[in-house]
Amino acid sequence: MKLSKKAIALLVLAALLLLSACGGNQAGSAGQNGGTTSGSSSAGGDAGNGGGQSDGSSEKIRLTFWDFHTEAEQAFFERMVAEYNAIQDRVEIVYSTSNQTDYTTTKLPIAFAGGEGPDIFMISPGDFMKFANAGWMLDLTPYFPEGALEDFLPASIEAVTVDGKILALPFELELLALYYNEDMLRNAGVDVPKTWDELLDAARKLTTDKVAGLILPPEKGPYFNFVWYPFLWQKGGTVLSEDGKTSLFDTPEVAEALDFWGTFFREGLSPTKLQQHPTEIDHIGNGTAAMQIVGTWAINRAEQVFGDVPINVTPIPHPVDGRLATDAGGWKFAVNANSKHADEAAKFVMWVFAEDPQRALEWVTDIKFAYSPRKSVVEAGKEIYEKGMRKVFTEQIYDTAIPEPRYPAQVVDIVGDALQEVMYGRDAAEAAADAHRRLTEVLKELE
Amino acid sequence: MVANRKNARKLQEWATAYLFVLPDVAGLFVFVFLPILYAFYVSLHRWNAFSPRAFVGFDNYAALVSDAQWWHSLERTFLFSAVYVPLLFALSLASAVMIHALKKRTANLVRTMFLMPFAITSVTSAIIGIFLMDPRNGLINQLFKHAGLPTQQFLGSPSQALYCIVAVLLWINLGYNMVIFLAAIKEIPRDYYEAANLDGASGWQMFRYITFPLLRGTSTFILIVTLIGSFQVMDQIMVMTKGGPVNSTQVSAYYIYKVAFEQMNMGYSSALAFALFSIIFALSLIQLKLLSRE
Repeated sequence: MKLSKKAIALLVLAALLLLSACGGNQAGSAGQNGGTTSGSSSAGGDAGNGGGQSDGSSEKIRLTFWDFHTEAEQAFFERMVAEYNAIQDRVEIVYSTSNQTDYTTTKLPIAFAGGEGPDIFMISPGDFMKFANAGWMLDLTPYFPEGALEDFLPASIEAVTVDGKILALPFELELLALYYNEDMLRNAGVDVPKTWDELLDAARKLTTDKVAGLILPPEKGPYFNFVWYPFLWQKGGTVLSEDGKTSLFDTPEVAEALDFWGTFFREGLSPTKLQQHPTEIDHIGNGTAAMQIVGTWAINRAEQVFGDVPINVTPIPHPVDGRLATDAGGWKFAVNANSKHADEAAKFVMWVFAEDPQRALEWVTDIKFAYSPRKSVVEAGKEIYEKGMRKVFTEQIYDTAIPEPRYPAQVVDIVGDALQEVMYGRDAAEAAADAHRRLTEVLKELE
Repeated sequence: MVANRKNARKLQEWATAYLFVLPDVAGLFVFVFLPILYAFYVSLHRWNAFSPRAFVGFDNYAALVSDAQWWHSLERTFLFSAVYVPLLFALSLASAVMIHALKKRTANLVRTMFLMPFAITSVTSAIIGIFLMDPRNGLINQLFKHAGLPTQQFLGSPSQALYCIVAVLLWINLGYNMVIFLAAIKEIPRDYYEAANLDGASGWQMFRYITFPLLRGTSTFILIVTLIGSFQVMDQIMVMTKGGPVNSTQVSAYYIYKVAFEQMNMGYSSALAFALFSIIFALSLIQLKLLSRE
């Protein structure tokens, strides 16, 4: 049957309509680069539906577990999921990953906002309050196995507790320290710095045309603040009060900590722009830097990739009139409070990291290097915690760690602004006062 | 009888024309107009994407008037556009005129070279920019050193970072705009130039009195599209500076993104976005009025 011209035209139009519906925002950009990018794409598998749905044929409950980890860490969780799926047949867990930026900035918030959040997910201290205030995280207190809760360090449990409810499970503590190239220090006649003055002096002596004295993160963001906090805490300063409602930023301690940080950049000892991420030990490994403040995660890479570079570590130098302190970061494991099978999801979370210490130990000693918030795990891994650079962490740094604070994004931004202003020449006391004013305004709004 | 057939054909032409345009308009409507209306609706509420919306009327708009960061971001945006748009216009027009004067084979080669950067994704161009402009090891600073010039901080300097972003965008967009100009220049009849030559006109005079006036339509198009595009720059800023250092590259689009997705303040960011949209819309209208002549 011959299709009339009209029929063909209608078919073509229908097809075009369908295509334009999928094509989206073509008209606005006119092909210019520099237009906005279209949405994020997820790296790993498919985004599952929120909530466990039991399909008609089998009784199994399906739970979705969204993650951002890559490589060995991803493989670890894939194995955990496979094992858990195999040892019981009540639930089946579906695991998927996205890249970290998409995960934290768009994937999770948008899914939760639409009521389609995954049953199981990861939460960082930076986003913790955002999710807690929205009521997205399940109270895990009743799910702790007998005696497990006491095994955890009180500070790490406090960091995830809001209004008496434990909203996430901590499973790693990543501590910051000062890494350095032993040869470079020796050649420059510099001793391993122990105080602020010594650190500044060492950086000055070690900086050359080709080598940076000290690598610090130069760009704003949660990690930027994370690396600065030890300097603030060493002076006894803090950003907000205990209850998070008042700004304590307008103090001389804050100004001194800001100024100390800024000095490294102002004198050209720390580069204002890095080609690689400041979390990578590659800066020392490649010989472009003499010292770097970075975390426990760097040890494995230093040993495996830069084994021939004499890298060693020491606690972050403290001011003469202050104390040792460092930052303890790390992700937490959380369950969607609105999940249809929150119980089962919580059981999985506890199974992975709150039960058999072997799994938790594998994570912190084999897959990556970090500390476990569980005393039994630290005990079980005693040998590993004494190997090489880990020994320095275990003996000198572990006890001085303060958990990364969980401030709202606006607070992180304001503190970041103050740091940057001082880095580029503003008077530290002024910057602190200004930030204090802005913090007070923001905290009032957030009430 | 004849009149009816004429009307019928006119109707059919008219209908076909609109039907052809319909798919794109339908797409525009669903994916552009409706979201704009929805954004305005959201801007009248306080909403952080998870708690229920709370109607606050025009509070968000009142807030943005007294928001120092917003005004600062507008200043950076206008500065960016004020530098980028004229430069892009001038450079692409100049290169088009130059290529037009070359012999065919050379012209094709040069044109391809100019156009190639356009094929790079924006993120890749940003990463290349980071490497080229690295204060310590970047190629550009190495060249400066050899030439005896002082090395620059580029993206690590609050006073230079914005212009570095301009430079990267010029690099990748030059070819595209140049090709548009080139096509328009080729449309100009050779007789005009021959006549001008007979009258003894110089190259510059030919450009000023023949080429440039006859490119009015194309120029208008390029200026408007470039201006709108310059307000939307995000990728390079996100990759190269994240709005820094010291917020010197925090243009309005980036500030809106920050408020929306880092602070989860959907209501306020929608108000900001709507304000930015109004500004771009007004500017484009003004440009169109000033530059077009039927």
